[in-house]
Amino acid sequence: MRSGISVTTNPPEESETPSEVSTEAEAAEVSGFPDATALAERVAELAGADSWSADFGNAKVRIDQSRWVEAITDVRDGAGLHFFSFLSAVDWSNEVAVGEPLEETVEERYEILVRLSSARNNDAVTLSTDISKTDPRLPTLVGVFGGANWHEREASEMFGIEFEGHPNLSNLYLTDEFEGHPLRKSYPLLSREIKPWPGMVDVEDMPSTENTEGAAAAAVDASETEDES
Amino acid sequence: MSQTLDPRAAAHVSEVAVSVELQTPGMTINLGPQHPSTHGVLRLVAELDGERVVNVEPVIGYMHRGYEKLSEVRTYPQITALVNRIDWVSGFANEIPLMVAVERLMEIEVPARAQAIRLILTELARISNHLVFLSSYPLELGASTPLMHALREREHVLELIEGVTGGRFHPNFNRIGGVKPAAGGGSTQKKLAQDLPQGFLSETAAAMDRMLAICDDMDTLVTGNEIFQARTKGVAVVPPDLALAYGVSGPNLRASGVAFDLREHEDYLPYDKYEFDVVTGENGDCFDRYQVRLEEVRQAARIVSQAIADVPSGPLQAKVPRVIKVPKGETYVRAENPKGEMGYYIVSDGGRIPYRLKIRSASFSNLSILPWALKGLLVPDIIALLGSLDFVLGDVDR
Repeated sequence: MRSGISVTTNPPEESETPSEVSTEAEAAEVSGFPDATALAERVAELAGADSWSADFGNAKVRIDQSRWVEAITDVRDGAGLHFFSFLSAVDWSNEVAVGEPLEETVEERYEILVRLSSARNNDAVTLSTDISKTDPRLPTLVGVFGGANWHEREASEMFGIEFEGHPNLSNLYLTDEFEGHPLRKSYPLLSREIKPWPGMVDVEDMPSTENTEGAAAAAVDASETEDES
Repeated sequence: MSQTLDPRAAAHVSEVAVSVELQTPGMTINLGPQHPSTHGVLRLVAELDGERVVNVEPVIGYMHRGYEKLSEVRTYPQITALVNRIDWVSGFANEIPLMVAVERLMEIEVPARAQAIRLILTELARISNHLVFLSSYPLELGASTPLMHALREREHVLELIEGVTGGRFHPNFNRIGGVKPAAGGGSTQKKLAQDLPQGFLSETAAAMDRMLAICDDMDTLVTGNEIFQARTKGVAVVPPDLALAYGVSGPNLRASGVAFDLREHEDYLPYDKYEFDVVTGENGDCFDRYQVRLEEVRQAARIVSQAIADVPSGPLQAKVPRVIKVPKGETYVRAENPKGEMGYYIVSDGGRIPYRLKIRSASFSNLSILPWALKGLLVPDIIALLGSLDFVLGDVDR
């Protein structure tokens, strides 16, 4: 048999494990997420961005729209994040046609997310940028990552975002005649408009939630509850 | 199909005939959406020059079910039932990254026993997935015998999964904070002896022996087969840098020589307790993609054998609030699924419903390399490449 089997020894490129920030590391230990502070800081420097976060193990760096393509190229080459995981968007909207509205008012915008990761270790980073809702457009990443092609087509049809310079921004999932952009928060879920979803009963407040756990909880279906307490 | 033959080409067996033949007019053929080799409903619009593929435009979306939109009206526990159906060949594995993401956001520590059961079932799902590949791939290349052998053995694995979860394909077995009490078992916190069905461990041990045996059978039936090698070796080589740039992951990436396995790097399940090798290929051709999966069945059987030898005792579920509310924040958790990197990007506003749930499925990115990889191949090699990528359209379209 061909000896194509190898045990990877996982060469650590740089010493990115942040041993100096002990309090941060302990906090990360409790939540079960790896600490991403050091990585986020490093990537923010590479991308020339001043805003980053590392909550819940998610190293997230906010890039200015004008530097989108070059910043991502710099991060890819500088931090060795060659694996293109996905590109997607979030519709930050104060009024929603589906789901629950946000608790606090936010600035209305689309946020584009790109997730890159290393193919050597568990380094991974989310890069994001905000684009306006009135004229949602962004330069394409196809020249940097070939895989961005389909992901941008998906984001384009689902959110109505124009990726400038994309070779073929036609619909990927939906038919050409389809009107609207389904993942926008303003787009209703038609089947739910016609008939309320029976599963919503779980979403509504149960009579005894949160405050009175004891006696009332025991009366409800035991399989759903923690019956030891 | 039939182009009118140039009479000169037929008349003269000469260089003229050759040059005439090379100038075949372009032709566009439609492969699918209903075609056995497309593993669902995939349509390829292929521009051909004779037998050569000039350009291919994959048309997907026939299976689009809008899970990301549906997730915005469902509570986190309800989404579990949806994600089972993304990649239905390895349904159990789809649930894991979502559960881990929610648990970590809520700071729930999953008991060791639940983790071990999750790990065993994930690896069984991997074996089941790869056996489907090992059965269908030779069939697509013209060998019908391996299908029967591999699917027969897969049945044993499905029975094991069914024994614990009650479902063969869509277990819907994970709960936030642990796993469901097994079929016939007691409540979540009590009757610990009954959570795995009686005889599960010994049956699994026997099944793992069978898995090793079927791998050896596949070696003698398929791997060394000259026709199979001729159809796959050196065909549709995917270079590693391109694979990374397209987000190709899992066995397809490792076949290109990149030793990257999330089971090693991410601690979503306690894989560090067990010994296994990360299998890589050398050339990144169809044969390597086959070989890597075959070897991964052996490695998965190795992991399961170690895991069943020492299943920790304890509760199956952590204490969780009655209403699952995920703290405000964003995170992404990914896992090494049988088909590659599967992950969920959760944007939570602190409620019971995700504000946005991005599903990153492996097959979508794996398939996106098709327009590049198919260029210049011969028509029969289209099938060889499609089969070797091991995609499922539910995983592509979501």
